[in-house]
Amino acid sequence: MRLVRGLCPPDPRISNLLTRYVLELASVDKAIVLILSRAFEMQSRSLSEQISPVDAFELNLLRGGSRLIADLTEFFRDYKVDDTTFAIYAKGNTRNKGLFLSRFFAWTVLPNYPVSLFCINEGKTLLSTESLRKRIETVTRVTDADELQWAWLVVLSDRALSPQIVSLVSRYDRKELGLAAASTSSKQIVLSNNQVGRSIGKQLKLRKALEPNKHWRN
Amino acid sequence: MEKLAKIQLTVLASYSMPFVLLSALLINTLLVNNHVTGGSLKILLLGGAFPLGFLAGRLIYVKRSHVEILFDDISFSVIKGSKETETGSWRSFRLVSLVLDQFGKPNLRLYRAVEGEYVDLPISKTNADPQRFRDHVQSLISGVRIRKTTPQVVEAA
Repeated sequence: MRLVRGLCPPDPRISNLLTRYVLELASVDKAIVLILSRAFEMQSRSLSEQISPVDAFELNLLRGGSRLIADLTEFFRDYKVDDTTFAIYAKGNTRNKGLFLSRFFAWTVLPNYPVSLFCINEGKTLLSTESLRKRIETVTRVTDADELQWAWLVVLSDRALSPQIVSLVSRYDRKELGLAAASTSSKQIVLSNNQVGRSIGKQLKLRKALEPNKHWRN
Repeated sequence: MEKLAKIQLTVLASYSMPFVLLSALLINTLLVNNHVTGGSLKILLLGGAFPLGFLAGRLIYVKRSHVEILFDDISFSVIKGSKETETGSWRSFRLVSLVLDQFGKPNLRLYRAVEGEYVDLPISKTNADPQRFRDHVQSLISGVRIRKTTPQVVEAA
């Protein structure tokens, strides 16, 4: 009996109401789908936007990537010194800022040395030992002129690093300059054999900058 | 002219909260006087303290702390609250940099000369992407950004 009653045609008013309800639900559903597709489109657009290794490296520094060693506070792009153009030139000092305890600790314990970071993007041009030596000389001149305690020099290249460059960088041991050479194509990173140089890998997280879309989102 | 602006929610909240508290106290006093001492009506009416407080807070925020940067390819102006705090032409600057403030937020610094007088634009208080805006400004400013260093004297052996 119940089954037969259930199969009876419903009241037309109720069916009209049901139809309207379903149509409204469908329009709401359509709106949700539209919003989700827009959001997905925007997300995919932001992911597809390539962020260059230099931008990624700078973004990491802007977010306080060097905080444990130095407080870099000012960032220049395409900074020209003589005939060398530095993709990034960052200035700062070794005394960190913080809230209460860390600020007090820094003020009482840490020395306040001025330091800098230089980053050169060689692009497709071949990085030779001669050009690298020239870059080192330029940085050394700036270091001396600005009376910096030490500096970082990071050289990025789109080509694979030659054995001569690997040898030069890995044997470099002047304590005032930390040196790093990295290839954005082969992801090879070579660090100089001094404390400042080793910190480029550990603290500045250069490797992450070479894989921009994996870790760094704008 | 393009406009960069953002509602700084923390600043807005700090302006609004005292007014939320004050209006809640006033509403409560009115309810007690009208012998409304409990129930959902009281909660509902007390909830009205939030829009009232935020309205008052927003008025003060817009008048005092809201930052807007208006710019085009020739000039820019910074408006803080109801005052124009900074104005200038891009071409009168030589060098641009990003400077982190005491909270680690990036602002734009425009130098009139290398290591000389400068003007700070508070882009961290707007919706601007710091790196992209800096790149855009760098393309607008005129500049000889070459810094000369003196060659080192090398002693002869």
